[in-house]
Amino acid sequence: MAEKEVYKCLNPVGIQKPVDTFPLATRLNTLDGKEIHLSITGEPDINIALEKRLKIDYPNVNWKQKKSYTPTPIPLSDEEMKTADGLIQSVCW
Amino acid sequence: MPYIAKLEKAGIPTVLIDLEDQRHMVKEWALMMGIPNIRYLHAGRILPGPEEIEGWIEPMLEALTRPLTDQEKESGKWEPLNQQRILFEGTLDEAQDFYQQTQYIPSPVNAPISIYTDGLPIIVPTEEKVREMLTGTSHKPDELITYQHDIESYVGVGAEIRKKGNVVAFQPSIWRTATVEKVAVNAVMAGCKPEHLPVVLAIAQSGCFTGTTANSCHVVTVSGPIAKEIGMNTGCGMLNPGNPANAAIGRTYELMAVNLGGAVPGVSRMASHGNSLNMAGTCFAEDVDGLPPDWKGLNEESGFKKNESVVVVALAGDGEMRQGFPPGTHRALQKSGHGGAARGLGVKGIPGPHNWLAYLLRNLPQSREVGITFLMVAELAQKLYEYGFKSKDEVYEWFWKATFEPVKDFRLRAMPDLMTNGWMAIEKTSGKQWKELSDDYMVPTRGDSPFESCIIIGGGEEEECEIFLGPRGTAYGIDAWR
Repeated sequence: MAEKEVYKCLNPVGIQKPVDTFPLATRLNTLDGKEIHLSITGEPDINIALEKRLKIDYPNVNWKQKKSYTPTPIPLSDEEMKTADGLIQSVCW
Repeated sequence: MPYIAKLEKAGIPTVLIDLEDQRHMVKEWALMMGIPNIRYLHAGRILPGPEEIEGWIEPMLEALTRPLTDQEKESGKWEPLNQQRILFEGTLDEAQDFYQQTQYIPSPVNAPISIYTDGLPIIVPTEEKVREMLTGTSHKPDELITYQHDIESYVGVGAEIRKKGNVVAFQPSIWRTATVEKVAVNAVMAGCKPEHLPVVLAIAQSGCFTGTTANSCHVVTVSGPIAKEIGMNTGCGMLNPGNPANAAIGRTYELMAVNLGGAVPGVSRMASHGNSLNMAGTCFAEDVDGLPPDWKGLNEESGFKKNESVVVVALAGDGEMRQGFPPGTHRALQKSGHGGAARGLGVKGIPGPHNWLAYLLRNLPQSREVGITFLMVAELAQKLYEYGFKSKDEVYEWFWKATFEPVKDFRLRAMPDLMTNGWMAIEKTSGKQWKELSDDYMVPTRGDSPFESCIIIGGGEEEECEIFLGPRGTAYGIDAWR
C-alpha cells in the first residue's frame, strides 16, 4: 500500500559549524587598585545608580566608563585593552 | 556578545548583566561565540535602579574575582546536532508526526513550540519532492546561498558584509548558512511549487531576520514580471488567505527563519506578542498596472530594470496599521469636499483632487521614528498623481517634510533617546549635537532621508492604505536565481 511506503526525508535545518570553546579569563585576586571598565548600553535607571554606588562603595577601584544609549557597546581601544583588568557590561539587551 | 568573547579570550574577565527573560538568548549567543560559561546576572524590569542593583551588585563584583571552576577552565569543541542530510526515514504519516514534533520552552513562553515548522502541518520534504522543487532553478543543490549582487540596505546588518559572493548568515543569532537544497526543502514544506523557488532563493539572501527583542513583522513584496508568471495576487485581498503563491512564499520566509535562522520564541525571538503578519508569513506582489504614469515600480526604484524581478524584504518594527476610509468618505472628500476628512484638511466644499496623505499624518503612532512603508490601492495613488505628485519621489519629499516638528516636541518621543545616543550624537541637518539645538529647530520625525519611506501599489477598489511601520525594505534580485 502506498501509505506504507518508506521515504527518505531531508533536513531543513541550516548548516551549523562546530564551535571552538574557550576557558574564561583568569579572575582577579582583588579589585583594589584594578582598572575596571563599566560598559553602559542604555537603561539609565539602573546604570546611573550603579555607577554612583560603585564609586562610593569601592573607592579603591580605578573605575572607567564607556557610555552608549544604544544596545551596541563602545569597545575598548587596543591601548585600553592593555591596561584593563576587568569589564562589567550593563545592561545588555 | 562578540565583544565580551573578545575580551575574555584576551584575558580580561567580564560579567554581563542582562534581563532575566533573555537568559536563553544569552546562553545561545555565548555558546556561538565560544564562551559557553560566560558569567552573567539577571536584571529585573520593575524595581527602580537603586533598589534593583541591591540584589546583584555584590555577586556582580564577585563574578570578577571568584576563582574559575573546572568547567569554566575547559576548552574544547561544540558539535551541533541534526546536521545530517537525511533527517528521517519512514511513511508519510510518520514523517508528518516527526516534523511536527515540539519542544517545551519554559518561561517566558511556558508552552510547546514546533521544532521544524510554524506549528502547522507541512508537505513532507521527501527526496523526490525536493528534487522536483530544484527544477525551479539552474543553481546546483550544494551551492551555498550567497549574495548575488552588492546589497544596499536601510536596515539590518552592515553593508560591508553584504557584498556579491559573500555567504549569507541566517539570523537571529546563531549564524547558520544554507545551500540551495536546504532552501528548497523549506520551500517544499511550505507548499511552494518549483516556479516559486527563484523568489524564495532571493528571499533567502535576506537572512530571514526576525528581530530579537523587537516586534518585527516581515513584509515581502515581489516586483517585476515574475509576479504575473507565477500567478501572484496583486489585487483585492492580497494580504488575505487564498492565493497559493502569496501564501506559500510568505510561509517559506517563516520556515526559513525557524530552520535556517534558528528563530525560537522565548529563546532567540523575544518580542512579547510577536506579530500576526508572521503567523503564516506575508508576501504579496506589486500591482505595476496600477502605477500612475511615470511612477516607478519597486524594481526600478531599487536600481533594477523594469523587466527585471526583485523581492523587497522589509521589517516593520512596529507592525502594521491601516488608514481606512469608512464607506464613501474618501469618495466624498475627493468628489465634492464633503465629510469629516474634508473638514480635517480644511477643504470643505472644494472638489478634489486632495492630498489624502495629509489626513493620515495625524494618526501616526509615536514609537520608532523611522520611514514608513505604504501599501496603497491604485485609486489612492492616482489621486496623489492628480493632486500634483508626478513621481513617487515627490511624494516622499512632501511626506518627509510634512513630518518635521520642533525639537521641543521631538524630545517628548521615546525612540529619539536611542536614535540620538542620549542626545549626544550630531544632528545631520545642523551639524550640531542634538542637545545643543534650540527648542524651535525643526527636525524630521520619519527618518534621516525622504527615501526611507516607500510606496507600494496594490489591492482592490476599496480606498485603503496599509501602513507598515518600518522603513523601505532591501531589494534582492530574483532573476539571478532562475
